[in-house]
Amino acid sequence: MSDPSAPLALTAHLALVSSISFGGFPTVLPDVHNFVVTRHGWMTDQDFANIFAIAQSIPGPNMILMMSFVGWKVWGFPGAVASAFATFGPPCTIYFASYRLWDRFRDAPWQQIARFGLVPVVMGLVIASGTVMARAADTSWPAVAVTTAAAVITLATRLSPMWMLLLGGALGGLGRL
Amino acid sequence: MTDVAERREPEQAVPLAALFTAFLAVSLCGVGGGGGVVWARRIAVEKRRWLTEREFADVVSLCQFMPGPNIAGIAVCVGAKMRGTIGTIAAVSGFLVIPWVIGLSVGLVFLEYAHLTVLRNILGGIAAAAAGLLIATGIRLLLPHRRRPAALLFAVLAFGLITFAKLPLLAVLFGLVPLSIAIAGIEKARAR
Repeated sequence: MSDPSAPLALTAHLALVSSISFGGFPTVLPDVHNFVVTRHGWMTDQDFANIFAIAQSIPGPNMILMMSFVGWKVWGFPGAVASAFATFGPPCTIYFASYRLWDRFRDAPWQQIARFGLVPVVMGLVIASGTVMARAADTSWPAVAVTTAAAVITLATRLSPMWMLLLGGALGGLGRL
Repeated sequence: MTDVAERREPEQAVPLAALFTAFLAVSLCGVGGGGGVVWARRIAVEKRRWLTEREFADVVSLCQFMPGPNIAGIAVCVGAKMRGTIGTIAAVSGFLVIPWVIGLSVGLVFLEYAHLTVLRNILGGIAAAAAGLLIATGIRLLLPHRRRPAALLFAVLAFGLITFAKLPLLAVLFGLVPLSIAIAGIEKARAR
């Protein structure tokens, strides 16, 4: 890390994107990727893909952890803590305030209209995030097959996502991808 | 308001420790994308009976159209519902503190050895599967809206503008959402 203002820039950016991460943090992953890899070069594509894979495969609040790993890469432990707070602080404040409003306007028509308008856009963004991550991860045809299989099995069955992650990890570890 | 009448007994104050441990369990069980909702429902609705199914569905909908990590949002809302501000702090602490420390330690050990070919291959395989899970989750949550052509159009637009046109998220969000909400409003007005 050469630029001393890097931790501040990262924390501010994460606080901003977490405040607009409608539909969860996956929707802003392409933006974070662009910020830390393409624009600032704090880590490589490979680093980012590794961090994503680790965050997805360990229990816990995985997107908050993922941003903590990004913070760690830029500024060590303080960076990890700052990134965690930037990731959950603003949204939790918004959740708390809006829960109170929500209860009051539970049956208001605008609530349904807003949900109908917002959900499709959000889901388009989630699917786009998966595609962006697939582009980084799928370096071979068997890897594309794993991504496709994981998506199809999740849609068609109620199998735990854990099995897909284990299968992907096992095939990768055996050098089949 | 019918929920109040259905309730069997007056609400007793839920211990803060119970909120803490419940969301600690949700956090540690919810591996991978989307697993958290399953465990939050299982614990808050089925095991502890803090919320009815309908109340839980309300909370999830609210969290879905607010920014941020949705499961943390469920912790905020359930904590607020049971015990107000202090309940939120207990639930969010349970959800975050211990799992964060464990996850960070385990993850950093992994990252330390990320240069090893075997570990790199394993992580590559996991990333490939995880990307598929994310795509499937988006599709699955879109399914209830599949009968509305406008919904599909906006989903495809959002997807395309990010994936192919590579526009920034903010531009896509603030460009499409007002249009999408306006059309949903017109549809609703016509349906009446």
